[in-house]
Amino acid sequence: MISFLVVLIFGLAVYGFILNSSKARALAEFNILHSQPHYHGLYSAFMTIVPAIILLIFWSFIVNMISNITLKDFFSDVTDDGLVKFYTEGVIAYVEGTTDRIIDHVGFIPAVEHYQSLQSSNQILKFAVVLMLTLILFKHSLKFVEVTFKARDFIERIVILVMRASAVFAIFVTIGIVLSLLFETLRFFESVNVFDFLFGTHWSPQMAIRADQVGSSGSFGAVPVFVGTLLISLIAMAVAGPIGMYSAIYLSQYASDKVRSYAKPIIEILAGIPTVVYGFFAVITVAPFFRDMGTFLSFTNMSSESAIVAGTVMGIMIIPFVASLTDDALTAVPQSLKEGSLAMGATISETTKQVIIPASFHGIVGSFLLAFSRAIGETMIVVMAAGFAANMTFNPFDSVSTVTVQIVGLLTGDQEFDSPKTLSAFALAFVLFFITLILNVISLAIVKRYREQYE
Amino acid sequence: MSEKLKVAIRNLNVHYGNKQALFDVNLNIMEKEVTSLIGPSGCGKSTLLKCINRMNDLVEICNIKGQILLDSEDINDENQDPVLLRMKIGMVFQKPNPFPKSIYDNVAFGPKLHGMVKSKGELDNIVVQSLSKSGLYDEVKDRLFEPGTSLSGGQQQRLCIARALAVNPEILLMDEPCSALDPIATAKIEDLIAELKQQYTIVIVTHSMQQAARVSDRTAYMHMGELIETGMTKSIFSNPQHEKTQDYITGRIG
Amino acid sequence: MNSITARNKSEKRFKMYGKVAVTVAISFLVILLYNIFSSGISAFKQTYVAVQLDIPANLDKKTLNPRSELNKSFLKMFPDLQSRAEKRAALSLLSKGARYEFKDLLLNNEGKDLKGYYWFLASSDLDMYIKGTVKRQGDTAGRIDEYQMKLIDILQSKNLVELHSNKYLFSSADSREPEMAGIKGAILGSLYAIIIAFLVSFPIAVMSAVYLEKIATKNRFSDIIETNINNLAAVPSIVFGLLGLAIFLNFFELPRSAPLVGGLTLALMTLPTIVIAARAAIKSVPPSIEEAAIGLGASKVQTIFGFTLPLAMPGILTGTIIGIAQAIGETAPLLMIGMVAFVVDAPGGPMDASTALPVQIYLWADSPERAFTERTSAAIMVLLGFLILLNLTAIYLRKKLEKKW
Repeated sequence: MISFLVVLIFGLAVYGFILNSSKARALAEFNILHSQPHYHGLYSAFMTIVPAIILLIFWSFIVNMISNITLKDFFSDVTDDGLVKFYTEGVIAYVEGTTDRIIDHVGFIPAVEHYQSLQSSNQILKFAVVLMLTLILFKHSLKFVEVTFKARDFIERIVILVMRASAVFAIFVTIGIVLSLLFETLRFFESVNVFDFLFGTHWSPQMAIRADQVGSSGSFGAVPVFVGTLLISLIAMAVAGPIGMYSAIYLSQYASDKVRSYAKPIIEILAGIPTVVYGFFAVITVAPFFRDMGTFLSFTNMSSESAIVAGTVMGIMIIPFVASLTDDALTAVPQSLKEGSLAMGATISETTKQVIIPASFHGIVGSFLLAFSRAIGETMIVVMAAGFAANMTFNPFDSVSTVTVQIVGLLTGDQEFDSPKTLSAFALAFVLFFITLILNVISLAIVKRYREQYE
Repeated sequence: MSEKLKVAIRNLNVHYGNKQALFDVNLNIMEKEVTSLIGPSGCGKSTLLKCINRMNDLVEICNIKGQILLDSEDINDENQDPVLLRMKIGMVFQKPNPFPKSIYDNVAFGPKLHGMVKSKGELDNIVVQSLSKSGLYDEVKDRLFEPGTSLSGGQQQRLCIARALAVNPEILLMDEPCSALDPIATAKIEDLIAELKQQYTIVIVTHSMQQAARVSDRTAYMHMGELIETGMTKSIFSNPQHEKTQDYITGRIG
Repeated sequence: MNSITARNKSEKRFKMYGKVAVTVAISFLVILLYNIFSSGISAFKQTYVAVQLDIPANLDKKTLNPRSELNKSFLKMFPDLQSRAEKRAALSLLSKGARYEFKDLLLNNEGKDLKGYYWFLASSDLDMYIKGTVKRQGDTAGRIDEYQMKLIDILQSKNLVELHSNKYLFSSADSREPEMAGIKGAILGSLYAIIIAFLVSFPIAVMSAVYLEKIATKNRFSDIIETNINNLAAVPSIVFGLLGLAIFLNFFELPRSAPLVGGLTLALMTLPTIVIAARAAIKSVPPSIEEAAIGLGASKVQTIFGFTLPLAMPGILTGTIIGIAQAIGETAPLLMIGMVAFVVDAPGGPMDASTALPVQIYLWADSPERAFTERTSAAIMVLLGFLILLNLTAIYLRKKLEKKW
């Protein structure tokens, strides 16, 4: 029934478009209209469709909420919220014909009858009201075709409204992130103390799933996880920093245009490879490499999931970030400075070290911060190459775990959504989000400051 | 004014890729004189200037054929190090380009780089001397550690001159040094040139004939990559031999 | 005086560091690609065993049990086998999927003779040996024992073991048996998700960019939106996964593991990238064109849609393609919203539970079975292939449309 209604509405809209447009076109023969004919058509179409659809959606939503609430009354003796939800969904599914299953509860049959009657009256009422609204607005819109009617202004204002909404949407996304993380984090801190989380040094989130199950209590001291993240990211920066910087220096100061035009895109390719591929590469090539090196140099206590493997591969992934951002910073330095230094008899290396790098220092620092921020937020490489046990160590040959690995581990698989175990993942994510945000803001501020020097 | 030959340019041909910029240029630069290179835009005067301190080496597609002799030694010879060459030749550019360092550090850059001083005291001396020679010292002596970029245009250019002088060069190359400056700053620099030529050989590229007439001893007129005429400034301007020179000077071309 | 030779040496060293750095970076790439390629290329072929069948045309094929019939025919080829252990070893050379192939063969040949040798899928252990991934050591090779090795030698001497092209790779979804596992489900899942991500994020992003560049006044509010978008672009992808989990799965109660949810989550992630690219493209349209349009009486909206956007389209599309390419390779957010379950059927539509290509790669990479290693590499090659295609399209678009103005 509803689909019939929707088709009807769209049909009327098209009809209204055609009617109004042709009326407008007729008028245009003898007058100069404010708005072109198709705008008049659009006006009619808009007035026919939009209010009706909005009402339809709104109506369905409200009715859905109401029926859920009233249905729950039939199962008022059930204490488990999840079970109540299951029952009400069962009633709805039964009435809609998706399933034949009858739930063994005394309230089921009355609930089904109640829902059925609710649905039938609802459908008819909804159909009638929406149809009436549509027809009224349709007829109404036909009256508006006049020379001076500012159809185009109306349509354009709607368009601008849509654009403004789109732009504001971005804010809603951020708010959504902050709220959803914050909400669950706060719930987490109802069970676990904030200071224990931030400063505790023992992380093993085993917790009883059901209250009556005997299980070891969880420890949620996140410091080992933070340390693991830091260790791997620092190793990554140790790899990417020198390679990225020297690459950028060579390509911007020494290389011929031809070499630069080939080498730069090739290095950029490293940035385009999905991180899951890097993770796989870490497992099949890099880990065995380090293991073999370890036995060759007789390191017997090297873990197969050592931090150095994950850190090295992450470093490879980050090279293009460092290289590209540093290159931008170096080439932003005016050529005249380089010429001035060279004219005084400095070599290119002296010029680079004593003039160009100091001149672009802010930009380089900013790029390193951004690369570092990328490293700590990285997930797949560490999930596949680093361990799950949160070891507290700075030894790169040990296995450590990172914030992102813990989040993945805690939230994949079957767990209850509300247990402190899964909530701890949100707390970790909140910390991660917060830190990367701050790093990003600082780095942009630093880069902005250096850019001002040249403008 | 001496009659000693400082720089001899012989049969110089310069190509940028397929385009030829200088055609068979022959020029003598005499010691402790001011030689000016004049001519309409694109005639190759800057290119010629940059050949003298091998700044054209930086341009990949630049191809140099011919001889440039500094004190009878070919500067383009394989055994010659451009770094050493540029210690003997200082350059001042069209737009002042002080480093984003302090005034002191700008001037101290060269001496420190080449290891010319052994103590801080010596370095201080050189900085003060160079700034004095370029007539800037009195204006900045109280703020030597402020950034070089905080000076006015004219001051920045004099800072660049001081910076170039600090390494004790023999030759000073100036590529339209006043084109970005106002008349008062220009006048100051022209006065400076008159003083400096007592110690240094100066080659100046200028698009202003009047400036050439004011500051230089010898003038060379260039046109579309060719050196048309060269001679004592006074005679070039009062009695040019070549028709093209005459056209330029009288304003028929330019 | 600083020695000139010392300075020149230092210069040469410095330059060499630079060259070494560039070489190292490029060789990392080469090593990575070489490893993936060399381990993945073998997955495009699969081992098949020829079994001699003798089924007359008049036999009602529907009465046959494919599995037992196939086993019977196979064992007939080795009349010397006595013990049950030996027979079991022989049968385990065939894949579990062979019985389905046999069934199809029967169905397609109703009323025809089936006499002679027909090819059937071999087990992954045999496949690994034939491809050389698992090497022979005396009488055994990996999981292949002496009985099986003897039979394999016999089969090989009669040319009854061959590599055919691996049709399962692209035509079937995931499976517990590596030789039957394919990426069809993963590809479809990714496709649905990406299309949805594009349809949602592209219009919103372009509208936002137009609004911010052309309509909004430069005030505090628009600055906030701008900073916001720039910050969103740097948020780790896993956080977007959590957002998707919290909002699409928990609040809106959309089906878990559905490409719809994956697509919506990826849309949120790609949004900032496209906005930033679109803004840059719109900014680069010369104002003179717009001034001309407005001078002729066009309204602001008409100017934007009629002139500015078309001219900015190449840049916008290039940025979009780059954003889409990033989204295709994203794994973490999809893990968070559940597109990670082991799903055996390819999804029929965007609401069916499914997996995605990068997630499939992750799952297979985790598997201890050797046979999955080559498949993981093959899946990576397919993924990289898509990415190369997308990027080349972006480059082509940029070059082609740049000439117009």
